Amino acid sequence: MSQRTTHNYVRLGLFVAVGLGCLVVTLYMLGQQQRLFNRSILVQADFRNVSGLLAGNNVRLGGIAVGNVRTIEIRNDSTVRVTMRLNQEVRAFVHQNTLATIGTDGLVGNTIINLNTQPGPALPIGSGDVLPTSTPASFETMLGPLAASSTNLVAITHDLRQMTQRLNGSQPLWQLLDDRQLAGRVRRSLGNVEAATGRLSTASRDVQLLAQGVRQGHGAAGYLLTNKALGGQLDHAARQLAGTSDTLAATLAGLRHQLQGAGALNTLLADTAFSRQLRQSMHSVELGTAGFSRSMEALQHNFLLRGYLRRQQRRQQRAQVAHQP
Amino acid sequence: MPHPTILASTGALTHFAGRFFREVVRPRYEVQEWLYQCYVVGYQSLPLVGSTAFIMGLVLTLRLRPTMVQFGAESWIPTMVGLTIIREMGPIITALMVAGKVSSNIGAELGSMRVTEQIDSMEVSGTNPFKYLVVTRVLATTLMLPVLTIVADAISLYASYLGVNMQGVTTLALFSHNILGRLNFSDITAAVVKTFCFGFAIGLIGCYKGYYADKGTEGVGQAANSAVVVSSLAVFILDLLAVQVCLVLGIA
Amino acid sequence: MLSETCSAPVHSAAASPPPEAVLTVVHVEKSFGDNHVLRDFSLVLHRGENVVVLGKSGSGKSVLIKCIIGLLLPDAGRITVLGQDVATLSHAALDQLRTKVGFLFQSNALYDSMTVRENLLFPLRRHWLAHSPAEEDQLVRQALEDVGLAHTAGLLPAELSGGMRKRIALARTLILRPDIILYDEPTTGLDPVTAREIDHLIREVQRKYGTSALIISHDLNCVRLTADRVALLVDGRCYAEGTYEQLRDRPDPVSHEFFA
Ligand SMILES: Nc1ncnc2c1ncn2[C@@H]1O[C@H](COP(=O)(O)OP(=O)(O)OP(=O)(O)O)[C@@H](O)[C@H]1O
Ligand SMILES: [Mg+2]
Repeated sequence: MSQRTTHNYVRLGLFVAVGLGCLVVTLYMLGQQQRLFNRSILVQADFRNVSGLLAGNNVRLGGIAVGNVRTIEIRNDSTVRVTMRLNQEVRAFVHQNTLATIGTDGLVGNTIINLNTQPGPALPIGSGDVLPTSTPASFETMLGPLAASSTNLVAITHDLRQMTQRLNGSQPLWQLLDDRQLAGRVRRSLGNVEAATGRLSTASRDVQLLAQGVRQGHGAAGYLLTNKALGGQLDHAARQLAGTSDTLAATLAGLRHQLQGAGALNTLLADTAFSRQLRQSMHSVELGTAGFSRSMEALQHNFLLRGYLRRQQRRQQRAQVAHQP
Repeated sequence: MPHPTILASTGALTHFAGRFFREVVRPRYEVQEWLYQCYVVGYQSLPLVGSTAFIMGLVLTLRLRPTMVQFGAESWIPTMVGLTIIREMGPIITALMVAGKVSSNIGAELGSMRVTEQIDSMEVSGTNPFKYLVVTRVLATTLMLPVLTIVADAISLYASYLGVNMQGVTTLALFSHNILGRLNFSDITAAVVKTFCFGFAIGLIGCYKGYYADKGTEGVGQAANSAVVVSSLAVFILDLLAVQVCLVLGIA
Repeated sequence: MLSETCSAPVHSAAASPPPEAVLTVVHVEKSFGDNHVLRDFSLVLHRGENVVVLGKSGSGKSVLIKCIIGLLLPDAGRITVLGQDVATLSHAALDQLRTKVGFLFQSNALYDSMTVRENLLFPLRRHWLAHSPAEEDQLVRQALEDVGLAHTAGLLPAELSGGMRKRIALARTLILRPDIILYDEPTTGLDPVTAREIDHLIREVQRKYGTSALIISHDLNCVRLTADRVALLVDGRCYAEGTYEQLRDRPDPVSHEFFA
């Protein structure tokens, strides 16, 4: 008790003041962040599916948090009504045609609502307005086109292969071709096409399986975490596809060039239904591979795989460096 | 009570707590002694609690980093560490340190006062020793532990910020923004309420053990020892209860 | 003043009208489980009188004195202090009564986290007696001078010798100027010189402030020097009562044991 000096009470007071100060500052900043102390307006939106949205989740406009979700209620068997609180200040930027979509925030992030302004004139939003919505663009929807294009590819390559085989086996065609050299080149090209389509079809089947796997798994992150081989498979398929689609494109271009150049053959083929079919198939292969590449590219840019692919790339570079003396 | 069972001593402790609540509201408030105890519990624990909190924040960040990098979730380190500290680690580490330092101190102090008849002496000189010794100390721990926890949280978060900056670059603004973005009012209120309970338990158990210390110096040692053990255990049990209550109430 | 009173079973011859009794203990019983410490103990303390309770170690002297001050509740019997029944008093009234009763603990019970000065001021603060700092200083100095330790005000109890601690404890008891002082073995464990000093101190306090005192002791020197009257506590009863000389000269073996 001999230490019971005023000095010590001052210290105690300082200590308590600092502690309470920290608390108050945090609470105030939290309040600022959650806009609890600002005026706000309530708007609504109806969704088919809110993908695990919770009250309190963020609402973003142009990627900036402008409010949060107040309530979520089921209106009927196909409508979920979400009421959100928007900061009064953004009222000028949110119009009645602004599209509300459900999105996610990062890998294991919360579900959020994105507000996307649409072109065209519309009145500013008011309290109680119901915003139009669109279905969510998720990892799953991204897989959709990929799976579709790989299915198309399988069918197309199947067709193409059949046709080249028939073309190969068609004796009159070869007899008609008087230019031996040209005939040899066309034969080789057809062989290449066959090999390429074969590879392409296995690759696209791989991707199909992958897409299926992801869908059956527990969402994207879950699948990535449970299936360690997925990254490898995906990368392999991507590289295969990139390679084969390139060769296929080149071969097809060469073949078309040859066919156009070869007078007799060209005229022969020009009139037959068979030739139309062949041209059609080649065109669709080109389209298909292009679509496929696009999907693959999109997938590669997906944040999930970005890290993985980048690492893969780095490893390859390192391997190359190591090979060089 | 030669061999008090757990139930019996829990009952006795509850009775003790009841007496505390009865005495705390009745006047003749020992303000001076209470302030002094606040100084002892709060300010004098600060170096210990502060350094522990600093180390905890730093270590948590550095240990979490490799795993988070593996998942490509490096930017989530502040959020994860921040929430862990504010919700759980800050309160529990502070409470355990205070239990170790203050509870044993109270147990030993009151225990030796009991066996050397100082408590009787207070009573004889017209002071209610329960008010003077127990109420002031329990109030001090109850009120000071939340403050200590807040300061420890702040220190810990700062250490975490340093830890993040050791292997990367983050501004303080982004760091705090990351944490605040995921923090709710309920997180803070739940943590503060929790620390009030921890502080109450620590003070109460320390006082109980000391106040009813058996005769002899051995009793004093035992009081100090079991004060630490029981109050640490109580902190964990209360923490578990807090988690359950939060779940039931739908907080966090 | 050396009279034999009704409470004692041995001597009972009322010569003069009995002076005012400040403390009466009537048929008090106290036991801890099977340990019957006090069985039917009775005693009266008159104003201005020093009574010594003499008993063997473990005979229940401290228990008796704690019953008087209200630290222990007797199982049966009645204790009145300054006319008030201790057992029936409310907390506040008991506190009020205790301001008039000083208690010197056998173990001193100095607050070891406080300095001597703070120790002495503690009972004052407790009683909300409004004191200015100057008055407090005056009181502390007076009390310390009474026990001859004026220079120790700033020391902690741990820095004092055993005899000094006893005297500080006495000073703490005296600072409230009590009407009755209960001394629990004031001289035990002290060297004969210091013990005699304490004994003289007790006498001096009695003379100076006119207090009554109940002194517990088994130190014969202490008994001889301080007692106006002596009560023998044997088997939880007041075995005999009288002046020091009267009891010393008693022929029965029990009394003889004490004075051997
Ligand atoms: N709080 C208690 N609980 C149980 N028993 C007690 C308690 N206080 C005293 N006793 C018992 O009462 C008896 C008398 O104790 P007391 O302290 O009165 O002895 P005493 O006469 O003061 O001895 P001494 O001269 O050694 O101080 C002892 O046998 C002791 O065991
Ligand atoms: Mg004794």
